[in-house]
Amino acid sequence: MKILQGAVVVLYALFALLPLLWLGITSIKDRDAAISPHAKVIPVLTAPNDPTSVGFVPQLDAFRGLSEVHAGAHASFWEHVTSSVVIGFVSTAASVLLGAACAYGFSRYRIGGAKDWLFFILSTRFMPPLAVVIPVLLMYRKLELPGTHLGLIILYTVFNLSLSVWLMKGFIDEIPKAFEEAAFVDGYTRFDAFWRIIVPQSATGMAVTGVFCLISAWNEYGFAMTLNSSSAVTVPAYFAGLQGNIEGMPWPQVAAGALVFVAPVAVLTFLVRKHLLRGVTFGTIKQ
Amino acid sequence: MERSRGGLGRFAFVGPTLVLLIAFNLFPLLYNVVLSFTNAELVGDGWKWIGGRNYERVFTDARFGAAVRRTAWFVFCAVGLELGIGFATALALQAFTRVRAVLVTALLIPMMLSPAVMGLFWNLILNGNHGITNQTLDALSLPQPQWLTDREWKLFSVILIDVWMWTPFLMLISMAGLAAIPKTLYEAAEVDRASRWTVFRRVTLPLVAPYLGLAVLLRFTDALKQFDLVMATQGPNDTSTQTLSTLLYQVTFRDGKVGLGSAYACVILVLVIALATVFTRYLETIQRRTA
Repeated sequence: MKILQGAVVVLYALFALLPLLWLGITSIKDRDAAISPHAKVIPVLTAPNDPTSVGFVPQLDAFRGLSEVHAGAHASFWEHVTSSVVIGFVSTAASVLLGAACAYGFSRYRIGGAKDWLFFILSTRFMPPLAVVIPVLLMYRKLELPGTHLGLIILYTVFNLSLSVWLMKGFIDEIPKAFEEAAFVDGYTRFDAFWRIIVPQSATGMAVTGVFCLISAWNEYGFAMTLNSSSAVTVPAYFAGLQGNIEGMPWPQVAAGALVFVAPVAVLTFLVRKHLLRGVTFGTIKQ
Repeated sequence: MERSRGGLGRFAFVGPTLVLLIAFNLFPLLYNVVLSFTNAELVGDGWKWIGGRNYERVFTDARFGAAVRRTAWFVFCAVGLELGIGFATALALQAFTRVRAVLVTALLIPMMLSPAVMGLFWNLILNGNHGITNQTLDALSLPQPQWLTDREWKLFSVILIDVWMWTPFLMLISMAGLAAIPKTLYEAAEVDRASRWTVFRRVTLPLVAPYLGLAVLLRFTDALKQFDLVMATQGPNDTSTQTLSTLLYQVTFRDGKVGLGSAYACVILVLVIALATVFTRYLETIQRRTA
């Protein structure tokens, strides 16, 4: 039984991790090695004479090439990273703050139809972005928001509210009401209590919620490609735009860029590993 | 402490979120309904009412029926495989409690990454000539399908990438379900000399089921929207991989038919909302059972 279990784990680990390893290997190749008809798998120090050899000489040109502007794009990879960072962080901060306040309201006040409101909030997450993008685009045109950082910041803030409210409600429900009751005796208002007790007490929860909001804004593609196709383009939309490039895909640069782009997410995943379950189930399962 | 002090106070906390959701979710939905009865186009401002003609076109469009069936098939295969492989891996991981923590975190990474970016990179992995998959199959003297260009394999490739991304999700939730089973039940089964299969069928499976239900539900609603991976591998116009979302994209942004696209969006939304309502209610039941 244990052998069978071991085999399943090993096979699955290969399937899950080899593509990531291949991403790393491709990022240190030159273009010829990346699309060679003979697999180039092992980095070697001197160039092999035999073209069918599995060896290739590793190099970092692809990472240097990230500051180049490729055919079919308007700006270099790094400028798109800047857009992704600005949009990701500002929208995350807004989502977490609004979500925490909303969750606090639902947690501590008696609100008519609270359950229905909460399910309405959650149901917005199930909506296909492509189904609301047309009216959003028309609204945005009136407000001159397409192609701006602000436009995507607003959309991602709203899109992440469902996640933020549900996660934060779980965290805030866990804070004993006794803390606030003591504060009210000292003359705190609800707002004081929120800022001075709930926010510090739920700091971990807000950080975890922030990570999940950031990752989903970071990875989002549907809104990004339809609303911001020429300026304030985020990285996923930029990469997709390289397709059909007349010079052919610059695979080592794509791999290097993808690596730079996904590495922070992998690190964040590791940091919130204890809360992953909560994050991906909207706080429905707590462990 | 009474919960309901201050009528305006609670609106200050809850209000901004609800206002934003109404302005950027509910309002666009209604606007969509209005647009679906017009002949609006992507370029130019003027439009006029054309009644239900867009809906007529949706329901007589062969692409629509095909996209519905294809999306259903995609969801069924992808989520089914993810459930099977994810649950099997979770069961297998039970034998390795000591190395588990680090290994599991590593295995979870694919689901946190960008589908658009990773989907694009999979084009290189699955490339028929210079992709590592076929080069490996060649070395093993196995047949090498043209993953990305053969009509028979294209949709399977999208499923494969989806399975790569989302199996960790099913695995994670399965592990939580397995961990929540009280050890005493297994001890009792051992006293009764129940066979391994009986224990699995009578103890493990029924107790994990609500967790699997929740995981499948969340995956299902997500897979239904499949857009990023299809765009990354085949683009919106490919007839053998076109899902509902990419069809909508094609109609609206490639053909520029905003009115018609809105009608598609409305029909798709009715489908999604119906399913999501059933599911969110079911979610309540599951939440109670897993709490």
